[in-house]
Amino acid sequence: MFSFISYFLQKRNHAKLKESEFDFLFEQDVSDEYIVFDTETTGLNPKVDEILSIGAVKIKDNKILTSQTFEIFVKNSKEISSKSIEIHGIRACDVQDAVCAKDAIKEFLRFIGSRTLVGYYLEFDVSMINKYTTSILGIKLPNKMIEVSELYYDAQIPIIPQGNIDLRFDTMLKKYNIPNMGMHNAVNDAVMTAMIFLKLSQKGEKKR
Amino acid sequence: MSILDQRKLIESIHPFELLSSNELDSLMKKIDIAYYAKDTLLISKNLPSIVFYIIIKGSVQEFKGDEVHNVYSFGDFFDADALIYGTTEGRFVVEEELICYEIKKEDFLELMLNKKIQGYFLEDFISRHKQLKYQDVASDLTPFLMSKVSEIFLHAACVASADATIFDALKKQEELKANVIIVQNQDDYMIVTDSDLRKKVLLGRVSVEAQISEIATKGLITIDVNDFLFNALLIMTHNAIKRLVVMDGKKILGVLEQLDLLSYFANHSHLVAVQIDKAKNVDDLKKLQGDLKNLIVTLRAKGVKVRYITKLVSTLNLKIYKKVFDMCVPTSLQESCTLLVMGSEGREEQTIKTDQDNALVVKDGVDLELFVEPMTQLNSFLLELGFPPCSGDVMVSNAYWRRDVKGFKALINEWTGSMSDESAQNLSIFLDAKCVAGNRTLLDELKSYLFDNFHARDDVLAHIAKAILNFETPLSLFSGFVLEKNHSNKLDLKKGGTFPIVHGVRTLSLQYGINETNTIERIKALNNLGVIDKTFASELIESFDTLSAIRLKAMLKAKELQESNYINPQELSKVQRDLLKDSFKIINKFKKFMSFHFHLNMVV
Repeated sequence: MFSFISYFLQKRNHAKLKESEFDFLFEQDVSDEYIVFDTETTGLNPKVDEILSIGAVKIKDNKILTSQTFEIFVKNSKEISSKSIEIHGIRACDVQDAVCAKDAIKEFLRFIGSRTLVGYYLEFDVSMINKYTTSILGIKLPNKMIEVSELYYDAQIPIIPQGNIDLRFDTMLKKYNIPNMGMHNAVNDAVMTAMIFLKLSQKGEKKR
Repeated sequence: MSILDQRKLIESIHPFELLSSNELDSLMKKIDIAYYAKDTLLISKNLPSIVFYIIIKGSVQEFKGDEVHNVYSFGDFFDADALIYGTTEGRFVVEEELICYEIKKEDFLELMLNKKIQGYFLEDFISRHKQLKYQDVASDLTPFLMSKVSEIFLHAACVASADATIFDALKKQEELKANVIIVQNQDDYMIVTDSDLRKKVLLGRVSVEAQISEIATKGLITIDVNDFLFNALLIMTHNAIKRLVVMDGKKILGVLEQLDLLSYFANHSHLVAVQIDKAKNVDDLKKLQGDLKNLIVTLRAKGVKVRYITKLVSTLNLKIYKKVFDMCVPTSLQESCTLLVMGSEGREEQTIKTDQDNALVVKDGVDLELFVEPMTQLNSFLLELGFPPCSGDVMVSNAYWRRDVKGFKALINEWTGSMSDESAQNLSIFLDAKCVAGNRTLLDELKSYLFDNFHARDDVLAHIAKAILNFETPLSLFSGFVLEKNHSNKLDLKKGGTFPIVHGVRTLSLQYGINETNTIERIKALNNLGVIDKTFASELIESFDTLSAIRLKAMLKAKELQESNYINPQELSKVQRDLLKDSFKIINKFKKFMSFHFHLNMVV
């Protein structure tokens, strides 16, 4: 029943696609890879805020393919507020070699293909991306999604059945002893999220 | 992680810093991050290596047979040999959840086309060791240049008030043995040097009853006590002056003389030696203690090999022993006895004062009672000079270690006959005996008696040698430190490292009748006799040197002259950890050699 509904919704989504070049987004994924991605934005409201940068890495088996890192800076219509600069550290001068939003999103879609997406509070990042895809291509991201904080919750709940589980990113990093990869930016966060994902899904289990 | 951060990490790992910026860039595009759960088998004989691993987090154990051969942790990499030769004898197993960089085999081999990188991975143990050590010393020099003014000897300052007469001020200067007079005029300071006195009092005919401020020069040049000595040198050179007044805020602490500064920077071992010779009493000797420590620091920073430092310091300590001996033993008795130092002092391997281990041999027929009082005094003088007492009471104040030649021969018979641990221990101590004062022939007689006694007594020798197997080489303990973060896990360098070498080499020396007491000299002698080959001998010497250096550095860092055998591997730099690991590997090799040589597996 559910699968029927999702199939139906998927089909309707596909029907809206404006450019047939992106049909691959709806194809069955055979790469056996995951995409972990993160965005840096001008704020937390998908309706008004814009994407500053997108960082993504592929995961295959137990490996984070940093050799194929995706990092792109997006041109913005507005000035970057000083408050958000404090968080993501992207200054106006850093986005000098940025590309326009349309090209950036298309590039990103080509990178991810139909692979499953993995992220931390993915909903936010996806809705940021969707905002662009809807206006450019008429569709929303059709990819399967895995929410890392949910995996973490599932892993913690047998240990702390009644407790409130702290789902903060830094707590998870600490809990799983993930090395801090330097400052927060889209790629660093994606790599760290990927590490948490690898630990939680135990992909390293007895496999070289 | 952004490419920049990854780059920084890779660059911090030797030998990757040797790569050019372009080479690094292209390398960065080929690196992946991988995650492996505990107990994953990464490489083995049947599982050929396909990537080069650089550890970001976690640890990996390398097994050879059932033994842990090596442990890799943050910043370490493996296994170049497996990639280059395409095969390996070891098994690499994840010991603690692993996050690592991976460079694919083809990419790694391409990297090896770079001569410097290639050189690093292909070089054999010894030369690699030396290269690492060189780097280590270079990084050590900086803290030395960063020494503070507070660390150096300051002369007392003679401060006179502005209205004092020249005569009174000079009298005060004479009392304090100061080189200059500082004149205080409320909050302002002026200075009177010898040349002021010469020009203004002697030639200018200012009366000595005049006020001192009349002849004083304004503009005192000072330096803060927390400033760097290096700066002090710069200020002196810049102003062409020979001394600086050292201030702590507004307070005058003392005067820093150029001569002291230069001798601080220079090796002033000669000075110390002369001062020991000139010392008239124990108090004179006491004053030299600080110099000794400075000497160690200086020499170490200059990159002088630890084995030469220890030798020098031992020589100076022996001088002190001799001096004390002269002070305590009446001249008439000096030729009828010989003072021995044993243990690390006898081997000339102490860098800072270790326990006193000493003994007195008296000529047969001379009354032993005559030596009771001088020896008790000698002992107390040494204590006063900061030579800590021996916990096992191996000291001249103990009658057991104060015998005539006959008495010592009886003791040797006892040791040879008994298989008790205590005998073995006493024998080991005595084996390192070195004569410091008195009649040398007495010791020679005992030594040759000892060697004769042990001729063809391989059973007893095996029993003595067995002690080197008492302590595990801490390669596994090393990994324990990786695992147990809540324990302040330290490493016993003596038990795990120096003892097996020292004791093993000592036992071999007893077997082959080698007279040397110094471990390195003994190794060389064993090599000359063909007991061990040249490569192994150099490996042993390098390992021993490394262990001593790390130990010395740890002790100096602790800022006190306390002998300490424990170090925390976590506090070591990566280079040092590598050196330490390599040394432990050699020690394991040596233990195997000893087991085979003495058939130790058959000794209960």
